[in-house]
Amino acid sequence: MSRKKSQKSKGSSSPASCGVPATKENGKVGTDCHSNGMVMSGRPSLSNSGEFYDIAFKVMLVGDSGVGKTCLLVRFKDGAFLAGSFISTVGIDFRIWDTAGQERFRSVTHAYYRDAHALLLLYDVTNKTSFDNIQAWLTEIHEYAHKDVVIMLLGNKVDSTHERAVKMEDGERLAKEYGVPFMETSAKSGLNVELAFMAIAKELKHRSMKLPNEPKFKLHDYVKKEVKGSGCCKS
Amino acid sequence: MMSSAPTAGDNGTARDRIPRIDVYGFERPDGFDYKFYEDFQSRYLVVLSRRAIKWSKLLQKSTAVEKSIKVKRYIRKGIPNEHRCHVWMLVSGAQARMEKNPGYYHSVLVEGKKNAKLVDAVVTDLNRTFPDNVKFRRNASQCLQPTLHNVLVAYGHHNSSVGYCQGMNFITGYLILVTKDEEKAFWLLDALLGHILPDYYSPAMIGLKVDQEVLGDLVKLKIPAVADLMEKHGVMWTLVVSRWFICLFIDILPVETVLRIWDCLFYEGSKIIFRVALTLIKQYQAFILEAQNFPDVCDKFKEITKGQLVTECHHFMQKIFVDPGSLSRTTIIKLRDKHRTQLLAQE
Repeated sequence: MSRKKSQKSKGSSSPASCGVPATKENGKVGTDCHSNGMVMSGRPSLSNSGEFYDIAFKVMLVGDSGVGKTCLLVRFKDGAFLAGSFISTVGIDFRIWDTAGQERFRSVTHAYYRDAHALLLLYDVTNKTSFDNIQAWLTEIHEYAHKDVVIMLLGNKVDSTHERAVKMEDGERLAKEYGVPFMETSAKSGLNVELAFMAIAKELKHRSMKLPNEPKFKLHDYVKKEVKGSGCCKS
Repeated sequence: MMSSAPTAGDNGTARDRIPRIDVYGFERPDGFDYKFYEDFQSRYLVVLSRRAIKWSKLLQKSTAVEKSIKVKRYIRKGIPNEHRCHVWMLVSGAQARMEKNPGYYHSVLVEGKKNAKLVDAVVTDLNRTFPDNVKFRRNASQCLQPTLHNVLVAYGHHNSSVGYCQGMNFITGYLILVTKDEEKAFWLLDALLGHILPDYYSPAMIGLKVDQEVLGDLVKLKIPAVADLMEKHGVMWTLVVSRWFICLFIDILPVETVLRIWDCLFYEGSKIIFRVALTLIKQYQAFILEAQNFPDVCDKFKEITKGQLVTECHHFMQKIFVDPGSLSRTTIIKLRDKHRTQLLAQE
């Protein structure tokens, strides 16, 4: 009678394993990600019910407590947003690589940065502090993560009715400064959620395949081309 | 939880007879095994009523809960829910501290509320504490969120070196459900964090890191095949057990089982946590050893916290004192000292 609902996880720093099951999962595998038997489902489930993984990329979601990491992950994984159904992440939830975002937990979880292939770094556009802390997160990442780690900056909660505290241009400027791709997302509406994970997946796939005849995948360009503004998707 | 046991031959299924929400206000999760639970409950009610009679007699005496072999035995067999708050308060020293410091809780609460950063951290987690419990929902008639807020803010001010650490929200939530009293919940939280547990929640979380290593050593000693498996697949203990320690098994094991563990935790101290962890790992050794890779190992460790073994809380609590074998205080102290020194040297 464990009360835990399996899809529920805790909202804090969330490493998502960009798991790569060889079988498709939930029928929602990005077709552009298949190649040589290696299917890159962006689905962040690690190994549900004995699925076979040829290769798994470890993608972690990091950022301040409450910025919506778990919600983003669940939106991507299950295509759902259940308001008020999340509980704060404590420690690490390995099914979806969810870890706590509160500052002190970093010293427990940064060991996992070491073998992360990609990090989605989140802030909450309605919470200035979470944006101000991005630099501290980047410092932490540079200290503990692999030097080739793929980083993407995400400004989440653009759907929020709360007043916006961080302008999109601020996010863009910071991202440019650190040379990382950027987009604004909403776990609630789903805006750019799929794109964020799939862009990371594509980048990782291209890196690992090193196909000589294919043009180099350009993550920045891809993101710029595909990203949607928050204006057009408001429901 | 204490719903009356159905008699055999009742119409309908266990699912129809067992309330969808337990006595603590938690919704039963998807996939809840109603049939097994009903079966267990009918057996457990017999135990509960026997224990209730024994405890009533014991508590009639004034020296009732002083440390003794008898009290220890009684506590290991479970404190009846109606006496739980009272006994926890006594055996943990919380009662004595509360009586010695009248008005203290109120004063730290007032001061704590002035600390915007602390209040902010607490508020961030309010809606994320037990959304599956009807009493903690914002729209509940007597919503427990304000109580939770107060206890956490007061404690954060009282123990400013810890402040607020995620995980404390769940622990405090349980304390509120058991005590139904804000001030008592505060003093029990103080007993746990300030007196019983190592420094799990301080900013450096050293106590947590130490205990994870200690568990690793104990597994190496007592269940070496599992230790080998962990090493082979490069699974750090922190990945599978940090939540066990930080949340004291809340949201990991069934509610009733957690409360039975806490009965012993308040009386016997933090050693109990290792007993629970070792019992789980030992009982499911063969199952864990089926793991073929890293994610497998992680999944197995999640699986072993579910199912009949842990639902059968009375049997499970008997097992934890037998299965792991001897676990002396001296051993734990030695291992903790060793790892603390090592970890501090690494920093």
